Amino acid sequence: MAANDLPIVGDSFKLGFRLQRYWDTPMASAFFFGELGAGLFLVSLLLESAQGMLAGLLITGLLKTYFHLSHMGVPTKSWRAILRPDRSWISRGLIGIVCFIGFGGLHLLNVWGFVPGFGGLLKLLAGAAALVVMTYQGFAMSHSTAISLWSSGLIPVSSLIYAATGGVMLLLASVPESAQFLVPVALLLHLCLAAVLLSLLHAARHGSPGARKSAELLTRTLYAKWFFALVCGAGVLLPILLLWFAGSVPLAAMIAAAGTLAGYYTFRLLIFKAGVFEPIMSFRP
Amino acid sequence: MARYGMVFDLKRCIGCNACVIGCKQENSLPDGVFFTRTLSEEYGVYPAVNRVYIPTLCNHCEDAPCEKVCPSGATYTRPDGIVMVDPEKCIGCGSCAVACPYDQRSEMKAEAFKDGLFGTGELTDFEKQGYPRYTPGMVTKCDFCSGRVDAGLDPACVVTCPTDARIFGDLDDPNSKPSKLIRERGGKSPLPEKNTRPKVYYID
Repeated sequence: MAANDLPIVGDSFKLGFRLQRYWDTPMASAFFFGELGAGLFLVSLLLESAQGMLAGLLITGLLKTYFHLSHMGVPTKSWRAILRPDRSWISRGLIGIVCFIGFGGLHLLNVWGFVPGFGGLLKLLAGAAALVVMTYQGFAMSHSTAISLWSSGLIPVSSLIYAATGGVMLLLASVPESAQFLVPVALLLHLCLAAVLLSLLHAARHGSPGARKSAELLTRTLYAKWFFALVCGAGVLLPILLLWFAGSVPLAAMIAAAGTLAGYYTFRLLIFKAGVFEPIMSFRP
Repeated sequence: MARYGMVFDLKRCIGCNACVIGCKQENSLPDGVFFTRTLSEEYGVYPAVNRVYIPTLCNHCEDAPCEKVCPSGATYTRPDGIVMVDPEKCIGCGSCAVACPYDQRSEMKAEAFKDGLFGTGELTDFEKQGYPRYTPGMVTKCDFCSGRVDAGLDPACVVTCPTDARIFGDLDDPNSKPSKLIRERGGKSPLPEKNTRPKVYYID
């Protein structure tokens, strides 16, 4: 009974689409830094870069935690979020973060020679926990059917690919010697990103009225200029061009990384802002 | 054990919003927080134009998505089907708010409790007696006035409605008024495609 031509009504007493307003900038920042740190850690783990792993742990451990706590209505009780892993992706993710920081830290100490033994096991556990942190936020969003734009299997995929891309680009910008191996990987990941973004928009445009309204917000109205300029332009096209033509030049890699991260952060923000609740019913003919 | 639910008779609702005021008063809600709203929609083309009022509140879903995503166990369902929020357990993460397809969750912002209804920082006696039931920062919602229901009374919005557009009762009792209305006039669930099995029905 929902009509497609209903307006966005904000918080008013009118019937229509309502913008999601509960998860905003602090939560988007927490998601961004959580995924970015875990992605950087995983890529650094594979390339055995201790500095990269340390940076990844710090980004997730400090920045994600800070932004999560600043979002929480009752931060002093935040520990309770760990209590329902049987049903909540937030709980599972929190356990993943604790394991990530714990096993990641132990692995790093092992690499530096402070903790002897269990090197392979710690590496495996730290990598698995990083993978959980890279994806769980996507599952937390896609698990719910309330916001049609989010209710898609592409959301966790986008989390995983963005996290991996962010990690690869940060490492590429900070360790230019790794360019020979990382540039092709980065190019491939950016192409995957383009495919995921196109698929997400295509699914939204052919989905429920709420999903179509979200696609309209992203591509035609309120957020279109940000989406095209930052998410698509700076976040995907610019890095592809720079990596393709000048991937081994450190300055180009740094500009490409900055573009990727700007696009990534904007995507995280806009995917929250463009989420809408469907009107419960409509009498429009 | 009863299974409580509500029916909205759209033919009777006149959009007076007395239910909204009754709810705010009963639950001592801070500025900007509503557990129930009466939405309006105008449709048709002049001269055949009409306006309909659509009351909304928490649907106390059988398969409540807000309960499923709550990471702290604050949201739970009572044996009588009323979906509740425990203010001692809620951490204010908002995952219930983004999981509710009906947008029926409300953030109890800490500033609202400090500023008071008049924004002066001084709470009225009305606020002083009502606010302790909430934890500032929590995310909560309508509980069908569970305290009134436990005392054998109808929810405040139901008793305030001057046109009997809100009908509350036991959905498991085939002779209850809401059960009869749903059966005889074809009660419709809001957003049935979300598969939440609401215990609130609309008849028109």
